[in-house]
Amino acid sequence: MTERGYLWLAELLFGMSCLLTWQRWRSGQPDGRLRPINYITMLAGFALQTTFLYLRGKAIGRCPLTTPFEMTIFIAWAAVLFYLLIGPSYRLSFLGAFTAPIVLAIGAVALLGLSDMPRATPLKYSPWVDFHAAIGILACGAFALAGVIGAMYLRQEDQLKSRRPHRTLALLPAVEQLDIINHRLVLLGFVMLTFGMLGGVVSQHVVGQWMAAKTAWAVTAWVAYGGVVGARWAGRMHARRMARYSIALFGLLLLSFWLVYLLPVSSRPAP
Amino acid sequence: MNLVVIGLNHRTAPVEVRERVAVPRGRWGAVSAELRKAGLYEAVVVSTCNRVEVYGVAGEVAAARRFFSVPPQHLYEWRDQDCVRHLCEVVCGLDSMVLGETEVLGQVKQAYEAAQTAGATGPVLNRLFQKAFAAAKHVRSRTAIARGSTSVGNVAVDLAEKIFRNLAARTVMVVGTGEISEATARALRSRGAGTILVCSRAQGRAVEFAAQIGGRAISYEDWPAQFPIVDIVITATGAPHPVITTEKLRPLLRHRPARPLFLIDIAVPRNVEPSCGELEDVFLYDLDDLQQIAQDNRAARERELDACRELIDGHLVRYLRWFAAHRPSLEQRYQP
Repeated sequence: MTERGYLWLAELLFGMSCLLTWQRWRSGQPDGRLRPINYITMLAGFALQTTFLYLRGKAIGRCPLTTPFEMTIFIAWAAVLFYLLIGPSYRLSFLGAFTAPIVLAIGAVALLGLSDMPRATPLKYSPWVDFHAAIGILACGAFALAGVIGAMYLRQEDQLKSRRPHRTLALLPAVEQLDIINHRLVLLGFVMLTFGMLGGVVSQHVVGQWMAAKTAWAVTAWVAYGGVVGARWAGRMHARRMARYSIALFGLLLLSFWLVYLLPVSSRPAP
Repeated sequence: MNLVVIGLNHRTAPVEVRERVAVPRGRWGAVSAELRKAGLYEAVVVSTCNRVEVYGVAGEVAAARRFFSVPPQHLYEWRDQDCVRHLCEVVCGLDSMVLGETEVLGQVKQAYEAAQTAGATGPVLNRLFQKAFAAAKHVRSRTAIARGSTSVGNVAVDLAEKIFRNLAARTVMVVGTGEISEATARALRSRGAGTILVCSRAQGRAVEFAAQIGGRAISYEDWPAQFPIVDIVITATGAPHPVITTEKLRPLLRHRPARPLFLIDIAVPRNVEPSCGELEDVFLYDLDDLQQIAQDNRAARERELDACRELIDGHLVRYLRWFAAHRPSLEQRYQP
C-alpha cells in the first residue's frame, strides 16, 4: 500500500465513525454500546495515520513536518491523540461524534488540496527544529480538541438556555464538565505552544534560518491563546465566551496556518 | 397445569382495598411458601404500593383466589400467554402509574428472590422471571420508555445533572418552603446534593424542613449574602414581585466567576425576573418550563409503548415455545 493509501483508509474509518455516531445522535439513543466501537474505529484510524507518519519520517530521515501536507496530517493525528487520551479519562459521551468530522475534514483538505512538495530551500536538520515543530503541532492538536469540546459546550448550553431542551440534552455531558476540560486543553495547548516557541528560538539560532511569516503566525497564536488563558485566570472569561474563543481561535489558527505555509516560502539568515 | 397471575392494582382497586391485602416486604417469601403449601406448584407474591399479585403454577387456581379476600370485581386473572405478557409489562414499567418507572423492576426482583429463597419457585417461574428481567433490560436499553423524568422535582434534578459535573459538592438554597420546592430539594438530596440551606419567612417551617432533609436553616434576610457559595437556588416565596432581578444578580455573579448558577423558580407569581436567564453562566427554569418538560417526557414515553410491546413479544414467544416443549414433563413432575 502507498503512504497515502494509509491515510485514505484512515479517512474511511473516520467517515464510518461519523456515520455511526450521527445515526445514534439522530435516534436520541445514548452512546453506551457505541462508544467502544467508535473508540476502536478512531484508534484504528490513528494507527493508520501513525503508520503514514512513521513511513514518511523513515523516508526523509526526520520528523515528517516538512510540507504543509505533512503538517496538516500531523495536526489531525494530534487531535485524534488527544481524543484517545481525553475520551476514556473523562468518559465524555459523544466526544467521538464531534471529533470525527473535524479530523475527517482536516484530513480531506490535506489529501485533496495541500502541497506535498518539499520546499525549494530545505530547512537544515537539527533536533531542535523537529522538537519545535512537533510540540507546536501537538499544541494545535490540543487546541483542535478544545474547539471540539467548545462546540459540545455551546450545543449543550444552547439547549439548557432554551428551556425546551431537545432529547439530545441527555446525550451530552454537563456544561460545567465541558467547560473545565475546554479550559484544561487550552491551558495545555498554550504551555506546549510556549515550549514550542522557545524551541523555535533555539532552533533558529542553531540552523541559522529565520522565517518571518511563521514566527509572526506563532507569536499571534501565542498572544491570542495567552489572552484567553489570562482572561480566564483573572475571572473575566465566562464558559460560553471560552467555548466560542476555542472554536474561533482554532478555526483561525488552522486557516492562517495554511495561508502561511502555502505562501511562497522565503527564509533568510537569522538576525 | 396453568401458569397464572391473579391480582389487583391501582387501576382495579382503590388504595383502601390494596392496603387490606398488601404483604409486608419481610413476609414475601413466607407467604409465597404458604401458597405453595396451599396447593400451588410454584408461587411468587409481588406486593408494591400499586399492586398485589400472585404468580403461580397450578392445577387449580382456587388457592391463589382465596388469598385475595376482596370483592371479585377488583381482581384480574391472566393465564399462560397473557400471564407472561403481564409480568413483562409490569417489570418494564408499562403497567405502572408512572409509565416506564424503574422502581417496580427492583421490587419484583426482590419478591422473586424472596420466593426463591423460601423454596416457593420451580422451573416454570424461575425461567419466567428471568425472561421477564431480560425483557426489561432489553426494553430499557433499546427504547426511551424510561428516559426523561415525569415529575417537576426530578426534571429539575435531571437538568441540574446536565449543568453540574456532580451534585455531591453543591450547595442548594431553598428560598420559601412549599410542596414543590420541598419535593425538589428532596429529589436533589436523594441524588447526592451536598449542603442544603433553607430559609422562609416562617422561620419555624424552615427549621423543621431543614431538620427533615439534613439541611441548615438560615434567616430569611441572609439569603442574598449566600449567593457566592450557592450553586442551585429554588425560589418559592409568596412575594408578589420578583425577589431576584438582573440588577441584583449581576454584581453577585462577579463573586463566582465561571461557575454555573441554576435558578429554579417554582413560585407563582414568579420570584425571578425572566431576564436573569440571559446572564452568562445562569440557567433559569420556572414552574411552567419544568411542567412542560415533564409533560413532554410523559408523551415521549407513551410514543414508545408500541416499540416496547414489540420487544416484549420476542421474549414472550421464546418463553412460550420453551413452556410448550416442557409442559408434558412439567405436568408429570407436578402430578399429585
